[in-house]
Amino acid sequence: MSLIETKDLSKIYGAGESEVRAVDGLSLEIDKGEFLAITGPSGSGKSTLLNLLGCLDIPTSGNVYIDGADTSRLSSAELTRVRREKVGFVFQEFNLLPVMTALENVKLPLHYLGVASKEREVRASESLAKVGLERRARNRATELSGGEKQRVAIARALVTNPALVLAEEPTGELDTTNTCRIIEIMRVLNGELGQTFAIVTHDPMVAKYAMRVISLRDGKVDTDEKQDAAVPACDDNKTI
Amino acid sequence: MLTVLGIVVGIFALTVLGGLSARLNQQVKGARDWFTSAITVVPSGGSLFGGEGKYFELSKAKEIEAVPGVKSAAAGIGVMVGDSGGFSFGAPDLIIGTDMSRSGDLLKKLAVGQGRIIQPGERGKVVLGSNLAEKLNAKAGGKVDLKGVPFEVIGIYRPTLSAPDQFAFVSYEDAINLFRKANPFFQARNIAGVIYVLPDPGVNAETLSSRIAAAVGSVRVISPAEAEKQISQFSLIFNAILLGIALIALIVGGLSIINTMVMSVSERTREIGLKKAVGAETRTILGEYLLESAMIGLLGGLVGTGAGIVIIAILNQVTVAKQVTVFTVRPLVIIGPIIFATILGALAGILPALRAARLNPVESLKED
Repeated sequence: MSLIETKDLSKIYGAGESEVRAVDGLSLEIDKGEFLAITGPSGSGKSTLLNLLGCLDIPTSGNVYIDGADTSRLSSAELTRVRREKVGFVFQEFNLLPVMTALENVKLPLHYLGVASKEREVRASESLAKVGLERRARNRATELSGGEKQRVAIARALVTNPALVLAEEPTGELDTTNTCRIIEIMRVLNGELGQTFAIVTHDPMVAKYAMRVISLRDGKVDTDEKQDAAVPACDDNKTI
Repeated sequence: MLTVLGIVVGIFALTVLGGLSARLNQQVKGARDWFTSAITVVPSGGSLFGGEGKYFELSKAKEIEAVPGVKSAAAGIGVMVGDSGGFSFGAPDLIIGTDMSRSGDLLKKLAVGQGRIIQPGERGKVVLGSNLAEKLNAKAGGKVDLKGVPFEVIGIYRPTLSAPDQFAFVSYEDAINLFRKANPFFQARNIAGVIYVLPDPGVNAETLSSRIAAAVGSVRVISPAEAEKQISQFSLIFNAILLGIALIALIVGGLSIINTMVMSVSERTREIGLKKAVGAETRTILGEYLLESAMIGLLGGLVGTGAGIVIIAILNQVTVAKQVTVFTVRPLVIIGPIIFATILGALAGILPALRAARLNPVESLKED
């Protein structure tokens, strides 16, 4: 069974003359454990689709099923619960809380999940270790480099062990070396943990290393291709 | 940190202005309490507070005492402690010389804190009101200079929070000497500036006042009710000033708190968006920011009030040298601003938090 399924999904902004069909009758299925890149020109609806998949937004019409459950008609409180339990987010601008340490940032979703303090500490440390940042756990977010920040953000997205990790331009603010490293980390974790990754990106490098690339145009699927991509081999000496 | 500072500034202003306001209030109330406790008889043309330079013969006291229903009539003469012409709120610092053999009943209204009161016939001795004693740094048994003349302090009254707190009580003879010293061209002999009259028990002070006025010529009798009226008129302007100060303080303090809290929480719309994205419920977020705003308000309130009290203490130290106390610290002046800051801080923080928490996380994450 697919992890995510959308049926005739639409998101329409405005009305009449100024109506924008950001996502327009889009149907697709994403299986568990996929590593998916969603590409397409600006305004093709990538971000809107990601928000709909991640329960950050509700569709105008159509349905989104996560684990077979329809999320398209849920209240905002119910959507919050789905996000908390099933989805991890990675943003272009990292969105770490600057006054907190790396570890505290990673702990944050566990806090809202009601995980006990000691267990939060353990799980957040493990998650930081997965992205290779255990040494930076006590550093404030502001003291980290861009690549490190994004790795903390990935650790934060993974700490609740969500079924789905959604990333929006995760490499948009990173140089090539760090981009490679972030893709590598995500690919490795995808392989090890079996979590589903859907990444909205402009970056051809991300698309190159994805197992499936969906290209959108005008809110509809333009192309949908599976590929046998290798995990990138980054030059570790040059990272961070 | 800047947020706390903004609140500190507002609360600091509130505390200092509150202290000023409390002081003015206390002065006016003090004057009222004292002057309405007895019938005040002044020379005709004089007023409750004197200062017109009018005096009458000491013998008027005897005439008044002869009026039925009068328990005692104590003649007194007042000399300003400081330079004449000085301005003071409420009751001025006065050296009061009274006929000790007759003023006993009046002075019984005051409780002695240290030492004892002056006995009839004693000279060169003074009993100080509590505020004046503090200003002059005097203790019972010590010495003070009043207008250049040394006096032995034999007693200090307990604080009454009324006019006598600023008074120095000396014998009539000593006061006359001081008066002559201060007014060298005034051939003063057996004069009084004021006569305080206490009615017999059960005698209505108002009817007694009219009786005295009818029986004794060329005096003005100010009954407690009239004194109240005069002071009310006099204090009307003060009340207006007090109200104005209180309003300014509340507005300055309140706006400062609201502004800083709203700004600081609005700046964190993105943070709230992120928290929602990772699964925080709206009410969880509201709880977090309510607590935080209240704590910031409390902290700002504590620091601001502390700073205000320190400044008040310093200013009072400075002005004590000029024998004026400008500020009073009262429990309300301390606790009021702290509670005000906490509650207002919480409210001012919760509104932008509510706005941000209600936003779709996609929207709030876009905001800078």
